[in-house]
Amino acid sequence: MDVNIRIAGEAGQGVDTTGNVLAGAFASLGVYVFASQNFMSRIRGGLNWFDIRTGDAELFAGRQKAELLVALTAEALEKLRDDVAEGGAILFSGAEADGAIAIEFTTIAKEVGGSAIMANSVAAGAVFAVLGYEIEPLLAHLAAMLGKKGDKVVQANHACVRKGYELAQARGTRLAAPKPAGAPRAVYAGSMAVGLAAATAGVKFVTSYPMSPSTATFTYLASVADEYGIVVEQAEDEIAAINMICGAAYGGVPAMTTTSGGGFALMAEGLSLAGVAELPVFIMLAQRPGPATGLPTHTAQEDLKFVISAGHGEFARAVFAPGTPQQAYELTRRALEIAHEYQTPAIVLTDQHLADLLKTSPPLDESYRPIDRHIVTDPPDDYLSYKLTESGVSPRALPGSGAVVVADSHEHTEDGHITEEPDVRVRMQDKRLAKQKGMAGHALQPELYGPQDAERLLVCWGSTYGPCREAVDLINGGSSKAQVAMLHFGQVWPIDVETARRAIDGKAVTCVEGNSTGQFASVLRSLGVLAECNTMLKYDSLPFTGEEIASRYEP
Amino acid sequence: MSPISIADETWWCPGCGNFMILKALPQAVEAAGIDPRNLVLVSGIGQAAKLPHYVTASMFNGLHGRAVPHATGIKIANHALKVVITSGDGDMYGEGGNHFIHAIRRNIGITAFVHNNQVYGLTKGQASPTSDLGFTTKIQTHGVISAPFNPIAVAIAQDCSFVARTFCGNKEHMHEMMVAALKHDGGFALVDILQPCVSFNKVNTYQWYRERCQPVEASHDPFDRTKALALAFEWADRIPIGIIYRSKRPSFESQQPVLAKSPLVEQYARA
Repeated sequence: MDVNIRIAGEAGQGVDTTGNVLAGAFASLGVYVFASQNFMSRIRGGLNWFDIRTGDAELFAGRQKAELLVALTAEALEKLRDDVAEGGAILFSGAEADGAIAIEFTTIAKEVGGSAIMANSVAAGAVFAVLGYEIEPLLAHLAAMLGKKGDKVVQANHACVRKGYELAQARGTRLAAPKPAGAPRAVYAGSMAVGLAAATAGVKFVTSYPMSPSTATFTYLASVADEYGIVVEQAEDEIAAINMICGAAYGGVPAMTTTSGGGFALMAEGLSLAGVAELPVFIMLAQRPGPATGLPTHTAQEDLKFVISAGHGEFARAVFAPGTPQQAYELTRRALEIAHEYQTPAIVLTDQHLADLLKTSPPLDESYRPIDRHIVTDPPDDYLSYKLTESGVSPRALPGSGAVVVADSHEHTEDGHITEEPDVRVRMQDKRLAKQKGMAGHALQPELYGPQDAERLLVCWGSTYGPCREAVDLINGGSSKAQVAMLHFGQVWPIDVETARRAIDGKAVTCVEGNSTGQFASVLRSLGVLAECNTMLKYDSLPFTGEEIASRYEP
Repeated sequence: MSPISIADETWWCPGCGNFMILKALPQAVEAAGIDPRNLVLVSGIGQAAKLPHYVTASMFNGLHGRAVPHATGIKIANHALKVVITSGDGDMYGEGGNHFIHAIRRNIGITAFVHNNQVYGLTKGQASPTSDLGFTTKIQTHGVISAPFNPIAVAIAQDCSFVARTFCGNKEHMHEMMVAALKHDGGFALVDILQPCVSFNKVNTYQWYRERCQPVEASHDPFDRTKALALAFEWADRIPIGIIYRSKRPSFESQQPVLAKSPLVEQYARA
């Protein structure tokens, strides 16, 4: 069983603080947590909500209905009360409201804790009471979270939690809540998982221009920069960012930038440079709906075709699309490894939903395990930066090693100097494209979830993993006899066409995507992986839920 | 490693000012005591930007306007390298203008030799950001009406740590400026090198520059910002050449705790 708790209010009211406190506290109980956020692009006002699902089995997506609504404003109560599940409850921050447990969180916080900020703690206490959980784990979690701020702060927050718990308990409303189920105690956001993977894999230079929804990864990397030995620099623009990491890659350290679609558009020329100069750069692109400014704090999967074709000219690249924070961690590391093995750009494509969601996961390895940079430490006297090889990969030396090391944006000879010889041009282009073949041969296999012999497939990529996976269970557990499985592509470019074809051949395919044109379906068709398929598209700027896919699915 | 040698063949027009800079660079590198193995030449796109192809040194010939971010990334990855930009006025002050401003703000330890010929050579004769008012071209048919970019004044305004100007026709002076800039160890060093374009700029010729370029007074104190700024605005009968301005700002790399121990590239394998 699982229960969905929705905390809603204005920006600046601490919706995310309350959500984060509760997500961590639930995880500390050993129940599974899946939290997602819906924010407007503003610092104050508006209506934001933070959903936390807790369950006794692993959770992968959000739900439309909430069993418990915590409304911090009258507007939140008004707009979201229809989405409270039957038999659910409402906690309202105020003097009174119909059909709700009204508790004046802010007034109590001021009286008991001495500061309105602690309204979050009053609310968290009330939520724990309504769910029938013991208060102690919440107190312990807060003490751990706030310990650095000193005993006084912890004590004041504890008093607020106790008061909220007491008042809600006195009202008598109880909701069924999941019992501790041995879930992993760690909770990760997708944005943090990318950052942690990059830091542990040996990224030494990060430079970005802040852009929602990618900024959390940039911020995370800045927070661990001293620990892992990373230079973090805010670039004057995205053009500077991509070109700086091209320079740093040439200089010999793994380097990355974080951005969203608009910033990536500015990076297109630099990406092309990394392609021809054969530089291992790494980019994390957190998607949001476009075109142009679009919906900055919302989610979409609209940049797939852009990313696999961005940059003028033709060159090799690898693009990964993780579905969970754990996959974000694994695929970020893999992207860095591939970029260095093939000396070409690699991109991890996330989105606002994945960046901001919180999910219980097995602990991610925080130890420093630098990837292989594939460097020749003792280059010969006749070293050639672009030596022709069968794999297309030339031995990589670094400037300062004694060799003359050249990076060039023109078409060039093996020693990296400008050429306009048609024969050399062809050999060099073939060399670079050979790397694409090599990468395709080692492409990540798509993951099948559900019955191996299911004749119907939900094909997806990126953050649609979670909702599709839950939809498979909902559909197969329902009355229909149609059995479906999910085929999720964690690597969307290049694709090992033969393997993909074998996984899809003879099945009725529905591509489930967060865009309005069915981009991945189009890519699969163009590669000859599939001939025809249905699409289930969503482009309202919100993530899919498992229920939504299950109800829209027509076998 | 043997000293830097120069290619026999280039793609420049006979008489181009770039030849003088090309010849001067290896001499300046040697005079500044730089190990050629630790030198990286960086350029964007343009006639000047081809220079790194004509010498035997490690080089990064990147995108138009992006020499500064390329160089910044290289310096951050390995600050033991001597990172030197050789690029033109279009590359550094036009397409790369934003990076120019921000590199000075960062005070990253890069030496920038800007071949300033006040015209676009590679694209055959359009105005550059430093073209004088009234300069006519096939595009600016009624003459340039946008005020010329003043790299010296902008650099001083941003408190650039080393700002010099020279003229490629004055070999001794250019050598002296290049060596001083290469020896500067406190961050971003700009040398604006006035350089005739014999094919597309018939106004700012060797003679034109020779008549106007005059070394600054020996008494000039480059740490005097007000006087330096006054010199930066001189562009008429007299064009001051020399070290116009210096400041004692700490460099970007000296302020990064992570870089205090060793270059990033050497820290990589640490457990």
